[in-house]
Amino acid sequence: MGGHGRAAIEVDRLTAGYGATTVLHGIDLSVAPGEFIAILGSSGCGKTTLLRTIAGFQKSTSGAIRLFGQDVAGLPPEKRGVAMVFQSYALWPHMTVLGNMGYGLKLRGIAKDEIRRRVGALLAMLNLTGLEDRKVTDLSGGQRQRVALGRALAVDPALLLLDEPLSNLDAKVRLQLRYEIKALQKRLGFAAIHVTHDREEAMTMADRVVIMDGGRIAQVGPPEEIYHHPASPFVATFLGAENRIDLDAVPGPDGALRLQAPGMPEPAAWAGEAEAAPSPGPVVAYFREEAATLTAPDAAPGEAIVLPGVVATRAYPGGHYRYGVDAGGRHLTVKDAGYHELGTPVGVRLPLANLHFFPASPS
Amino acid sequence: MTDSRFLALGLVAPALALVAALFLYPLGFSLVTAFTHEGVLSLANFGKAFDLYSVDILYTLFIVLLAGALTAVAAVAIAGVLTLGETPWLVGALRALYRWPLFIPFIVAGQCMRTFLAKNGLMNNSFVAMGLLDPLQTASLLDWRGIVITFVWKQAPFVTLLLAGAMASLDRATIEAGRNLGAGRLRVLVEIVLPQVMPTLLVALVLSFVTTMSVLSVPMMVAGSQPTMLTVDMAFRINAYGDYPVANALGVISYAITGLAAWFYLRQSIRKEAAA
Repeated sequence: MGGHGRAAIEVDRLTAGYGATTVLHGIDLSVAPGEFIAILGSSGCGKTTLLRTIAGFQKSTSGAIRLFGQDVAGLPPEKRGVAMVFQSYALWPHMTVLGNMGYGLKLRGIAKDEIRRRVGALLAMLNLTGLEDRKVTDLSGGQRQRVALGRALAVDPALLLLDEPLSNLDAKVRLQLRYEIKALQKRLGFAAIHVTHDREEAMTMADRVVIMDGGRIAQVGPPEEIYHHPASPFVATFLGAENRIDLDAVPGPDGALRLQAPGMPEPAAWAGEAEAAPSPGPVVAYFREEAATLTAPDAAPGEAIVLPGVVATRAYPGGHYRYGVDAGGRHLTVKDAGYHELGTPVGVRLPLANLHFFPASPS
Repeated sequence: MTDSRFLALGLVAPALALVAALFLYPLGFSLVTAFTHEGVLSLANFGKAFDLYSVDILYTLFIVLLAGALTAVAAVAIAGVLTLGETPWLVGALRALYRWPLFIPFIVAGQCMRTFLAKNGLMNNSFVAMGLLDPLQTASLLDWRGIVITFVWKQAPFVTLLLAGAMASLDRATIEAGRNLGAGRLRVLVEIVLPQVMPTLLVALVLSFVTTMSVLSVPMMVAGSQPTMLTVDMAFRINAYGDYPVANALGVISYAITGLAAWFYLRQSIRKEAAA
């Protein structure tokens, strides 16, 4: 491990694809030593292709992949020295736990006794003490994925690639392994790139989250930043702000910005920081269901938008009600603790600070 | 209940009769003939068979086992390239070509090999034309080597077909995991792919073994008469002397050898089922 001051991995304008189809359109990404990165995206966004291109299983068509400064884009997978954990575990059924976990060490010419000692220590770390001589086919899913993790960690990698390693596990084991992987990463200090489609997994494990969309990086940042300051409508929607309303931002007579939505009796005045204010003109705003509350349809707006609407659906997922409200020609989902009958006129109260504003695009 | 049982028997009867007439009766008859000498039970026919043909028995075993071993090497190499190859045109060409010998009968293969492997055959002539060999250095390969080459050429595609299928159905990630940890492709083939498809390889080799044990045309066509394979000896005993008892004794020896292989095959498939 090491690489003083240098990035553990630097991906530079990387493109890759299958045949005539380009999957990655110029990816730039830098991961510091010891940093945990999660790549989050929906199916087909290119996140697994990016990981496989870094590992060398997929050929890049242009761009560079630098591991501690050395470009490895032209090297076969076995020469790259990055360790990978696979979604299907990919353990070798004809070998024992020791055979699987010690394989990388055997390739590096380590003596048998030393391999047994190191694998034993790793097994202890993974809560699998004493399973050295067990057949991997006799292990549970969680144990298998721990062995697969141990196999990758046995070679003391500076960079670990995790390809949806938890998606085949049941919910409880998944939560536990999430925590264990993160703890091991902190303790051993390797850099990690974790590909997942599970938002919470990415947010809770990573130092920085990379959101991918259509083979491009949509946003990179710490979990809090991407959650509170999404860079695009796609990121906002992907991170749960699925309600959308159209607004008009107009400067008032006093110079302060006023926001007007269709059906709103009077506009709301912008009182937040000037740099966070939307630019004048038509804007779209995205918000999460928990960012809004229900109030009277004629409530005074203050520093919030109050959209008059009618309760259309109601569900009780536990702890609060989830309402579907028809307001301003759109169907909004709102979380609220109070009980409202269907068909009741309500006001959807949206504090301006909870809205993510973007300029309205012609589409 | 009894009616339906009779009906079932009646339905199976034609098939049973066919099996009995065409297989069980000749098999039983040949067994009886093999163990009978001048009307009494005896091992005399086996004594004569071993006296006359013990060299040929060993020769047959040697050729069949050597051909099997070389077939295994060739099949692993071809299936390995098909599975782990990274040069698309090479993999494509190999995939398209390797099955061709499957469609060529043994006798035609033997005939082709006669013209290919002879002292003035296509192979030697090509080597001479390429300057690799002096015309005086050329030698005919029309002996045990010719038989082995023909068997390998004919059987490697069959074993490859089964082996490449088994390799293709492996979890690709197990291969990638090996390379990821630093194993080159040859190492991945030997240490990761091959152990996982070993049951299939053994089964394919047993089937191939039984096939090569029973080929008459190739040893007759490609190599000389002494020593030769058991199939040729059996044909000779019958055609030249009408000596069915000794021919049948040789047949029983062949059964015994292939029976061993079949036992091995059954044991493998039972294990495979137990593991699944």
